[in-house]
Amino acid sequence: MRRVAVIGTGQTKHAKARDDVSQAELAREAATRALADAGITIRDVDAIVLSNMELFEGRALPEMWVGEGAGGWLKPVMKIATGGTSGTSACIAGYHQCASGLFDIVLVVGWEKHSEGATQTGMALVDPLWDRNVASGAVGNFALSISQYAAERGVTPEQAAKVAVKARRNAAKNPCAHLQMPDLTVEQVLSSRMLADPIHLLDMCPQSDGAAAIVYAAEGRAEKLCPRPAWVRAAVTRHDQPTIGDLDRRLVTMRTLRDAAREAYQRVGITDPLKQIDVAEIYEPVSYAELAWYEALGFCAEGEAGRLIDEGVTGMDGELPVNPSGGVLSANPVGASGVIRVAEAAMQVMGRAGAHQIPNVRTALATGYGVYAWSDVLILSAD
Amino acid sequence: MTELLHISHTMSLSWRYGASWYFAEFMRALRDERRILGLRCPVCRRVYLPPRPACGNCHVELREWAEVKDTGTVRAFTVVRTPIIDPATGQPRPASYGMALIQLDGADTTLNHYLAENDLSKLRLGMRVRAVWREERVGRLNDIVHFVAEDSDQ
Repeated sequence: MRRVAVIGTGQTKHAKARDDVSQAELAREAATRALADAGITIRDVDAIVLSNMELFEGRALPEMWVGEGAGGWLKPVMKIATGGTSGTSACIAGYHQCASGLFDIVLVVGWEKHSEGATQTGMALVDPLWDRNVASGAVGNFALSISQYAAERGVTPEQAAKVAVKARRNAAKNPCAHLQMPDLTVEQVLSSRMLADPIHLLDMCPQSDGAAAIVYAAEGRAEKLCPRPAWVRAAVTRHDQPTIGDLDRRLVTMRTLRDAAREAYQRVGITDPLKQIDVAEIYEPVSYAELAWYEALGFCAEGEAGRLIDEGVTGMDGELPVNPSGGVLSANPVGASGVIRVAEAAMQVMGRAGAHQIPNVRTALATGYGVYAWSDVLILSAD
Repeated sequence: MTELLHISHTMSLSWRYGASWYFAEFMRALRDERRILGLRCPVCRRVYLPPRPACGNCHVELREWAEVKDTGTVRAFTVVRTPIIDPATGQPRPASYGMALIQLDGADTTLNHYLAENDLSKLRLGMRVRAVWREERVGRLNDIVHFVAEDSDQ
């Protein structure tokens, strides 16, 4: 295995609707920006990995008609679709292609254009023999899990609302974020419309149009192309059982994330994540999930997540800033969201995060999450 | 600048899913006998609903049927207050309605289903519930209308 680093990233402005562009143009925007950031051209790219959940837009074979926008013309191209983890899974696949020695430079491009279809329609296409008999959608599903999690760990609606506020205020410093709400308050979150108890509208991520891309380079090339590459130190993925009711106390245990994090930390030698990780970009589609992920990722003991948000430990100036970009709560183009997490973690290591840069980042964590059943964990560092 | 236009498209599509031997048996028992059947793993002894051909934990084939009751315990609940697309009809399901993950007696997994009750203050974890069945059954989970409190006279 060769060492591999992220040497460039690019994102679109994520928004409710990008009616001015097609999916292919969205992908091209992000890819072009990532190539420019890396200081290379499409001719330098050996292979491309795409990430998209095409059933949301109801338009098949995006690897063909969007692949060209991503720069895939006459190049090896593959597409990954694993729900919320699509983007991080594509980043892990691109890392494998580069680390294996198969390719030297790999471009990963993820995108979604939720304005073209109902996300709910996509969610309705679950197992026809079982879960398709009940209308729960993403919101209903989260709400069910939260009832268990909140009861066992004692987190309150106010603590969850603080996560939502932190995300949207951080997003105000990120020019690419969809929801930028610098003045949002806990009271506003708690008084927003109830979707499914206890989830308010502002506890939930938006549906966004957007794309994101990263460029990987293998050792030997990465140092020459980038003054401060973000080296991939660990890339771990875990899958679990498939049916909604299968998983034992889902948010409470979150065994895929726990297990993936444990392996990633072991590889890098992390024993105290709160101290050893400088910044985290985690996939939190709902405010409560971020609290659950703190515990699964070992940022705190079980039952301590509420204290972490209360004390500002994960704020912009805290001991471990979580989602300085504003996270999924501030932009969720699903196929791009995982790529955004990795891109943002890399930007922090490379010192290219602009107004939402955390000072002196050496080690950054990125995660992906899909329907409780899948988790991805990546660790990037300056060395 | 050119006016930005949209193309709306609605399709009616159909699929024909094979239920396979294990799900066909589950459907038959549900439709003809109002019985709920799970499959038991010969190694870890977990009883799985829905029935499936392999245990994810042990990766062995499952062949032993286990009868699961139509009563159970609420392990998670919510009241959905926004219209969510009902995959059974393709149309939004009128809100508000109660939902729960119910561990049926005899099963190790939970079942995602509707509750008749949509008053949040009357729902709690650990609550005992029972299924309300349709007269006309076709072998789908929708043969259960919803769940009510076990001591309800509905």
